[in-house]
Amino acid sequence: MTRLRNFWKIVTGLLRELADENAYQRHLAAHGRTHSGEEWRRFCEHRLKAKYARAKCC
Amino acid sequence: MNRITGLLIWAAVAILGAYALAGIAIDRGEPVNSMWLVLASVCIYLLGYRFYASFIAAKVMALDDRRATPAERLRNGHDFEPTNKWILFGHHFAAIAGPGPLVGPTLAAQFGYLPGTLWIILGAVLGGAIQDFVILFCSTRRDGKSLGQMAREEIGRLGGVTALLTVLLIMIILLAVVALVVVNALKGSPWGTFTIAATMPIAVLMGVYLRYWRPGKVLEVSVIGFLLVVASIFGGEAVAHNPALAPYFTLSGLSLAFCVILYGFFASALPVWLLLAPRDYLSTFVKLGVVLMLGVGILFVRPDLQLPAFTRFTDGTGPIFAGKIFPFCFITIACGAISGFHSLISSGTTPKMVAKESHIFPVGYGSMLLESFVAIMAMIAASVLQPGVFFAVNSPAGIVGATPEAAAATITGWGFPVTAAEMASLAKDVGEDTLYYRTGGAPSLALGMAHIFASSGGGKAILGFWYHFAIMFEALFILTVIDAGTRVGRFMLQDLLGNIHRKLGETSWMPGVVFSSAIIVLAWGYFLVQGVLDPLGGINSLWPLFGIANQLLAAIALCVATTVLVKMHGAKFMWITCAPLTWLLIVTYTAAWQKIFSPLPRIGFLAQADQFERMIESGKMTAAKLAETQTLIFNNRLDAAVCGIFLVLVTAILVDSVLLWAGILRGTRPSRITETPFVASRLRPEEV
Repeated sequence: MTRLRNFWKIVTGLLRELADENAYQRHLAAHGRTHSGEEWRRFCEHRLKAKYARAKCC
Repeated sequence: MNRITGLLIWAAVAILGAYALAGIAIDRGEPVNSMWLVLASVCIYLLGYRFYASFIAAKVMALDDRRATPAERLRNGHDFEPTNKWILFGHHFAAIAGPGPLVGPTLAAQFGYLPGTLWIILGAVLGGAIQDFVILFCSTRRDGKSLGQMAREEIGRLGGVTALLTVLLIMIILLAVVALVVVNALKGSPWGTFTIAATMPIAVLMGVYLRYWRPGKVLEVSVIGFLLVVASIFGGEAVAHNPALAPYFTLSGLSLAFCVILYGFFASALPVWLLLAPRDYLSTFVKLGVVLMLGVGILFVRPDLQLPAFTRFTDGTGPIFAGKIFPFCFITIACGAISGFHSLISSGTTPKMVAKESHIFPVGYGSMLLESFVAIMAMIAASVLQPGVFFAVNSPAGIVGATPEAAAATITGWGFPVTAAEMASLAKDVGEDTLYYRTGGAPSLALGMAHIFASSGGGKAILGFWYHFAIMFEALFILTVIDAGTRVGRFMLQDLLGNIHRKLGETSWMPGVVFSSAIIVLAWGYFLVQGVLDPLGGINSLWPLFGIANQLLAAIALCVATTVLVKMHGAKFMWITCAPLTWLLIVTYTAAWQKIFSPLPRIGFLAQADQFERMIESGKMTAAKLAETQTLIFNNRLDAAVCGIFLVLVTAILVDSVLLWAGILRGTRPSRITETPFVASRLRPEEV
């Protein structure tokens, strides 16, 4: 049961990482801020700019 | 006792792998079940991982968990963040898995299933995974530096400039060739075209939802986006059967090419949150989900392979692309065996997220093995089709004949029986007017996948849905490669243009953005249109060019990796990266030489240009045909020149590297290691 729970934790963790939701939580924690639409847009500005300056693999 | 049990288990894996490999290599006269390919590949991956890669991790890299990684030292909550090993594994895999490992094996199946399968397995274990692993290690030990930065610091200034130029050129060819795959899959297909067109408003809706309605809810909006995309597949079927609407979505190759070019331009110039980012989220989840589905489908259905181990086209006369098994099989399958592009990912985001040095091993080496397994699945999906059907879908009209009857007769004459009625019935089953001349690999892969999915349940009745689902899946993430690639190309160009005029280098100055986006789009758009107009289908000339470019980028990455190994250990371990490097150089130089100078017009660019020139000189051409032929002559010479530029760039970096290695080994050049100094890790286990 614990293994199954751990597996589920990794799957959801991966999905959240791919969705940038984990990165957003880290951003909020790092800057001591709370979630708001404005904060999300500020995070996106920085995150997406860096993300799409890199090549995507073939 | 434990050691003996372990030895016995690994001996059993080795025997099983050897038996499965011998089975697929030697067995003749009866269909081979796809499970033998799965078994052979998994056993060899396990052996490579357990023995070869762990030897490199322990003895060569000496991975040390006491050493703090850049993720820990430079932790900033953005790029640098210690991440769970398995989450990073999935993240890295999602980043390296593009259309290459799906399309390449499908095209290479023209030689039969065996050559491509062997290259995918051995190329990955001994080459591709080693490249990814060593570059990830090098970058992690250097604060997550990029391949270009490492080339400049480890080899010299020339190395850095060469790497940058090569990446920009490869990107242009890559974008053109993947766009061609989409165009060939959608031409004359209202169902497919509607489905893909619908993904654009869906992406915009997702973007607006995420920015204004439910900020931060990416998973939620991705589920909504996925449901809408599935609904659009059903909508596409309705459109295809509607006589009023169908003509609007029944487009020629050229019209589709211009649509893709326009899309690339807007996706590059528009705000990233509006179109690019939501599409990327959606395509990443769909990609992972479909790869998983395909794996489960193959295990569940366990289909027999219909293609033979070898076809007659090993002699170089293949209809999909011309050229003998050596060297063309090895450049056709790049991603899946060894891909230079992976070195950009291994020196990009991933090294900034490695929590412990020991994680480099499963993430760098293991992810590539999984990508290789995806290529094996693509090979299986292509090989479950009847050979006659496979060649009818993938061969251009210029080779097999312009009518269904002529094409069926030509392919049957090659020893792969197929009839026009059979093809018409199959096209009807998947909801298309025709499946002939759909070069590029995507449609035949979609057919194979649809066959596997439909065999798992639903049968022929839902073949059309699965075919278009597979087309949607392929086109969705190919278009994501196109929009993100155009944007990256635009940044690179703006970087260069900024040296000429400062304002042009500013990524927020709209005239500069529009100008540089247009230049990049026109560059790959030119090659795309060239591919669409090519009488031999475009794939024959563009895919080898892309394969050569990608493998040469891998050669640059392996030069950097070898330089680091020489600086660390002298000549002792340089064979680890020199062996795949030598093989790649032999393969790519041979292929590039043949593509430029072969006297056979179907292979050599210059020979084909000469052939067209002789046709003009014969004076039997109409004025319209004359202009078209002159364009073809120019295109062939341009392709030859691009191929030549790749060779010159890589030769420059190779010579520079070899001189450096010789200098270090003789003691005449300094062996300065540029690793970040050791800092003890203080990361607690619960933090990862």
